[in-house]
Amino acid sequence: MFRSDSSRRGVVKAIAAAVLALAVTTAQAQADKPLRIGFSMARTGMLANATPSQLNTYELWREQVNAKGGMNVGGTKRKVEFVIYDDQSKPEQAVRIYEKLITDDKVDLLLPPWGTPFHIAIAPVLEKYKFPVVGNTAASVALRQVKPGYIWFTTSAIPDRIGTELTAMLKAQNVKSVAVLSNVLPFTKEIKNFVEPELKKAGIDIKVSTEYPPDVKDMTAVLTQIKQANVDAVLALAYPGDSVLYAKQAKELGLNVPFQFVAIGPSDAFFPKAVGAPSADGVVTIAHWSPRPEWKGSQAFYDSYVKKFGEDPDYLNSALAWMSLEILEAAVAKNGLDKEKIRATIASDTFETINGKVKFDGVQNAITPTAFVQYQKGKLQIVWPASIATGKYEAKKGW
Amino acid sequence: MIDTLLSGQLLFAALVTGSLYALIALGLNLVYGTMRMLNVAHGDVVMLGAYAAFWAFTLMGLSPLLAGPVVALMGAGLGVLLYRGVFRRLLAGVTPSTAGKIEGNSLLLFFGLSILMQNIAALAFTPNNRAYAALGEVYRIGGVAMTGNRLAALLVAGGCSIAAALFLSRSVAGLAMRAVIERREAASIVGVDVDRVQGLSFAVGFGSAALAGVLMSMLEQFSPFSGFPFTIAGFIVIILGGLGNVTGGLLAALLLGVIEVYGVALTSANLRSVLLYGTFVAALLIFPNGLIARRVMAR
Repeated sequence: MFRSDSSRRGVVKAIAAAVLALAVTTAQAQADKPLRIGFSMARTGMLANATPSQLNTYELWREQVNAKGGMNVGGTKRKVEFVIYDDQSKPEQAVRIYEKLITDDKVDLLLPPWGTPFHIAIAPVLEKYKFPVVGNTAASVALRQVKPGYIWFTTSAIPDRIGTELTAMLKAQNVKSVAVLSNVLPFTKEIKNFVEPELKKAGIDIKVSTEYPPDVKDMTAVLTQIKQANVDAVLALAYPGDSVLYAKQAKELGLNVPFQFVAIGPSDAFFPKAVGAPSADGVVTIAHWSPRPEWKGSQAFYDSYVKKFGEDPDYLNSALAWMSLEILEAAVAKNGLDKEKIRATIASDTFETINGKVKFDGVQNAITPTAFVQYQKGKLQIVWPASIATGKYEAKKGW
Repeated sequence: MIDTLLSGQLLFAALVTGSLYALIALGLNLVYGTMRMLNVAHGDVVMLGAYAAFWAFTLMGLSPLLAGPVVALMGAGLGVLLYRGVFRRLLAGVTPSTAGKIEGNSLLLFFGLSILMQNIAALAFTPNNRAYAALGEVYRIGGVAMTGNRLAALLVAGGCSIAAALFLSRSVAGLAMRAVIERREAASIVGVDVDRVQGLSFAVGFGSAALAGVLMSMLEQFSPFSGFPFTIAGFIVIILGGLGNVTGGLLAALLLGVIEVYGVALTSANLRSVLLYGTFVAALLIFPNGLIARRVMAR
């Protein structure tokens, strides 16, 4: 009896101490007034593996901003503190979290979650509370349906523009026939729907066109069919998991087509590790960024990312995340925390980013060209379009 | 088209897929068979095995083939630990009237374990996609191109599955295990040490799952949350083959591998899931006790 009583008293004491400690830290925090920036991220669930390249970039940014004394808020520097929630890979969860971040946590600024469905899901919340957010890792023609106002999409990798640009690139390489294989998930399916009519218009023969489900475990049958079709280019519209499967089985079957486009996956550092650097060489993928002397800060971003995380940033998602932070930073430096003024600035100004100038037209980035990158000697180089190229396209020499 | 179907290339692909399914299902089947407990954390053990192989390779440069036996032993150790620490107590008081309750409770326990393993892995290893390139050379044997890692996966997974089937039909310990699977009470009356058999099932079950993870890690990328699809694949195999029936599971796994590869070759990759789950549902309707119904199971 005595023992249980004393242990209960111990628990009460511990709780009291914890509450006190919490109260003290809150009091201190209020004295320092750090800038609180909130967002949700898929830390668990089926999409969690896709988010580190974005979250890492946020962390790197916070570290650098705080090292410089804080974020410039209309002239005064304030240390940045993140309020992060796990949305469990569920867009509906993200909606609740953003509502909570705005109304309950009362954060000063918001960063976007990962992925297209999440961006689209939180847009109405931002509209409702008139809270501006610069989006990053979202790409779909559906984004244009989002009411312009409080969210902007930084990427130029929108499927319809990918369709026309990819066709132009194939044409420039004198490609006469292609095989298209596509994961049925939304982004790649969308690319397929836009690229195939463009290919036909350009007179490029689509010898094989096939789709496969996301849980595909073996591609031998499909790739054998493509090998027999003897095409000049393969457009593997794959997601990260199946991009690895594709590369490994294409190697096994000796699918030595000179132009190998693999949609999603190769821009992330895990790809060359998964398939082996020599096999990754020559693969073309979607991204519109690469360290480039003309883009101020791009090399510094690359170097600091590699230094902190020991691997390359994702040339698409990490770069987009950093761009969105640069835009927000510029708007807040100019306006302080006045949401309406921030909104007006983002909607009308032109911003300098690691990906060159960015200006929004409605919800879309109107300047950055849609581009493609290629692995060359283990590094991704922009090979299309010529206006921002950092390397020259080379035909893939086997796997 | 015909020569594609008759070529060894598709057969090789079907065997690789089938043997991995078989190895994954094996452990699930033993644990279910001997204790009537559905291990929904099975795929997460596969995931942990994959991480072990990944770290052994990236940090120590250890080939997955060398890491395999060690990881399998570690998996077995984890199984024994869990059995001794958690499940033995749960099973100790089983009487026919509480058997149903055990199934429900063990399911909850395994479910909790699954969530724990996923989140510990996410905390410890970050949710990053992980993958490495090992044994990536392509060999040509009789006109069939085989990547070293796929060939290794086929040989190890196939070999272990067949060895397990032989163990169950030939060795004394295996026969004891089968006796517990088929007639639990009778086995204990004739002197089978049920507790030992159950511990052994956990060891083999978790060990084989970890080994499957090692093999899988050479072929696919993975993250802390890629375990669940393997649990599902394992369930389909053991239900198709007959719950608790290891030989049936082997055949069912091969059948699924064949459907996955030849079905896609004959129709379209888009129909993969339709074909797999269609076969599963059809088989359940026609053979409700599994493809090879054992007389004893149909009591």
